[in-house]
Amino acid sequence: MELFLLLLVQGIANGCHYALLGLAFGLIFGTTNIVHFAFGALFTYSAYATWAAASLLGLSIVSAALIGVAAGGVLGAFTYLVLYRPFEENNAPIFVVMIASLGYGILLENLLGILAGTDTKVLTEVENTTHVIELGDMLVFVNNLQLLQVAALVVVCLALYLFLRLTSYGKAILAMTDNPEMARIIGIDTFKVTLLVFVIGTGIAAIPAALILIKDGATTSMGFNAVFIAFVAVIVGGVGSLPGAVLGGLLVGLLESIGMMGIPTEWQSTIAFVVLFLVLVFRPTGLFKGT
Amino acid sequence: MDYLIHIAVMAFLYVILTSSFNLLIGYAGLFALAHAGFFAVGAYTTAILSVTYGLPFPVPMLAGAVLTAGVGALIALPALRTSGHYLVIITIAFQTILLAFLLNVKDLTGGADGITGIERVSIFGVQLATSLEFLPLAFFMTVLCFWTCWRVANSPFGRALRAMRENEAATEAVGKNILYMKVTVFMVGSALAAVAGSLYARYITFVGVDTFGIDETIYILAMVILGGMANLRGSIVGAIMLVLLPELLKFLELPPDIADKSREIIYGLLLIIILRVRPQGILPERETATTAGLAEKAQRLAGPPALPDRAGHDQPGAVTVCGHNLAKHFGGIVAVDDFSIELKAGTVVGLIGPNGAGKTTAFNLLTGFLKPTAGEITYRGRNITGLKPHQVVRAGMARSFQDLKLFTRLTVLENVMVALPDQHGDDLAQVFFTPARIAREEVENYARAMAILEFVNLKEKSEERAENLSYAEEKLLVIARLLATGADVLLFDEPLSGLDPNTLKEIFPVVRRLAADGKTVCIIEHNLDVIKGVCDHVVFLDEGRGLADGAPEELLANPTLAERYFA
Repeated sequence: MELFLLLLVQGIANGCHYALLGLAFGLIFGTTNIVHFAFGALFTYSAYATWAAASLLGLSIVSAALIGVAAGGVLGAFTYLVLYRPFEENNAPIFVVMIASLGYGILLENLLGILAGTDTKVLTEVENTTHVIELGDMLVFVNNLQLLQVAALVVVCLALYLFLRLTSYGKAILAMTDNPEMARIIGIDTFKVTLLVFVIGTGIAAIPAALILIKDGATTSMGFNAVFIAFVAVIVGGVGSLPGAVLGGLLVGLLESIGMMGIPTEWQSTIAFVVLFLVLVFRPTGLFKGT
Repeated sequence: MDYLIHIAVMAFLYVILTSSFNLLIGYAGLFALAHAGFFAVGAYTTAILSVTYGLPFPVPMLAGAVLTAGVGALIALPALRTSGHYLVIITIAFQTILLAFLLNVKDLTGGADGITGIERVSIFGVQLATSLEFLPLAFFMTVLCFWTCWRVANSPFGRALRAMRENEAATEAVGKNILYMKVTVFMVGSALAAVAGSLYARYITFVGVDTFGIDETIYILAMVILGGMANLRGSIVGAIMLVLLPELLKFLELPPDIADKSREIIYGLLLIIILRVRPQGILPERETATTAGLAEKAQRLAGPPALPDRAGHDQPGAVTVCGHNLAKHFGGIVAVDDFSIELKAGTVVGLIGPNGAGKTTAFNLLTGFLKPTAGEITYRGRNITGLKPHQVVRAGMARSFQDLKLFTRLTVLENVMVALPDQHGDDLAQVFFTPARIAREEVENYARAMAILEFVNLKEKSEERAENLSYAEEKLLVIARLLATGADVLLFDEPLSGLDPNTLKEIFPVVRRLAADGKTVCIIEHNLDVIKGVCDHVVFLDEGRGLADGAPEELLANPTLAERYFA
């Protein structure tokens, strides 16, 4: 039972991490329908920006994370303008854009390896206190970072919800997610909205990037798992649904963690891929949508 | 010198990988990004069987090819249900799972250490120890694999693959078995990649998981796209170029780690640039079919051999197709309800009704594209309810589509040839084991296809790509393709809409002539002139139910119907 509680806490924390990734990616994918594989590389760059700001410039972790978010936003805009926009203007088929995105991701990842080296970047000075909660005769361990992961998800969800519901740009994003053709017809500037979505989505992704940097450190190849987890969250939750992406992320986090009770640890990272595989084969519309 | 030979060997191995990958993505349009995974299974099988079990060449290679073909068939299953970018994601996930498997089953695969000390190939007791000695074997196997791809691509099976790439539903509607095609092409493509993997393991004498990552799949993909999709010569060019290119980096004398990364950067950049500047690749898919030889041989035939003709034996008026009390519900929506229809030989039936009345749904039910919620369909007394679309076509009932669904990047001739029935070349085993018979059939089918094109006045356009036709010509090609199926029951979904009156006058007699030949014809149509001019009998469908039926004049004079429909 204690093991279960440990895994449950871990699962919720990881789930929040995945949910944030799903939210960030789902916002971009759901709105633009661009299969944005390079999302993973941009996520990595944000983590490195946070690391550089904290360890090279000596900034506090909060300021460093903000720099990471800013870097993410700028990179998101850059990627859209330089990589995707020209393809859009040529009406390139979806798979062409997707493969270009794969190529771009590989390019960025290896460029980072040359620029920053392939060693794992860690922030040693950030303390991670563990709290012990007594629950009857059982002990539950929760650390600060896990609390921060949950808090980050709650704050981002709330902020994004308010932004999407209350601002005119937010409403434009929702309209475009719903029906891009109609959005264009009623006079929404889809170029601006797309650009905005890339900025916000990549900016949001920088938050889990900073948290994972604190937790495990950053490597140049960390983006591959991130973009796939984001994919899993979005597909489990149903493409085009942001609440679905959050639920999907939480579900995958829990499943991965609780699954450890029956599955050897070396297979843990494979669970998400198996989930993705099964959902895409048997329920491509996601788990939460009606048939 | 040894260095150059090493590069040559690697180029050969990559030619195997690119040409087999091109079959999947270029010809069949199946974007399964797991090719390095197939490569890995082949390499590991050889490593395990030769190191652990000491089996001699070529046993591990063959075992690897068979095993990988099985893995390929497994990947074909999701490809039956998903397509487009979901197939890409699912296959990348699949490859990742596969690599995790190779990494985690340590007893078998050595885990992260991989397998070392793989014995080199020995042929008749002579060990191929150096690159130079290995080169002839690599060359021979590459030629063999490339020839296999070439045969597949340029066979009737390959033509059907390209048709499937253009439009899956239309490929089923001309009688092709999509399940068979996808599973087979995956098995062939993956087995060939496994041969490359086996050679690789024997040549390098080491296998490790790192060699076969997603990056490797993208690397092969870059070669195929650079060379040109659906062009096998392009795959040779792409493989050679991208094997040579990073070697040029060696002259810069970078540290090995940086050199590796620079190589990857170049691939990434190159991929983006090709997709921007020349997405069709250096050697694009050929524009015309290689029919010069066929035309010559076809002239020596006495005349185009007739299609199998069931219709000729029918008494005019004999019932061929019966739909009894058909119903189709989508969730709570009733698209067709308690609808019955009888189609007779030598008769043209018009199916009319307002938009959304369920006319196309009725066609989908009759031809197996939708399963009826209730009801039964018989063809010549045989119950065909629940048959797959291609089985319905093979039984003798074919349909066209309102949105045409032509195979746009195939030539007009190919559009018709692919639809011809009973092609032994659709069966890949026959392509390899009875080549003479396939070649003979191709000549006959060429003559048949040209005769059909002549019938619809499209003979001059036979070498044109379907995407370059005018709208009226496209409509004629739809008719030609439907006729080519050899079916005696022909269901036309708005074949004449959008045509000008002069073209209509040309097509009317064509349809009447089909009926006079004993065919059973059913047409969905809105144009009253067409209904009056062509149909013997009209069925009025409204809100999914058959509201009335009778002679055209009779129905068109009915004031209630006129109000519902023609108002």
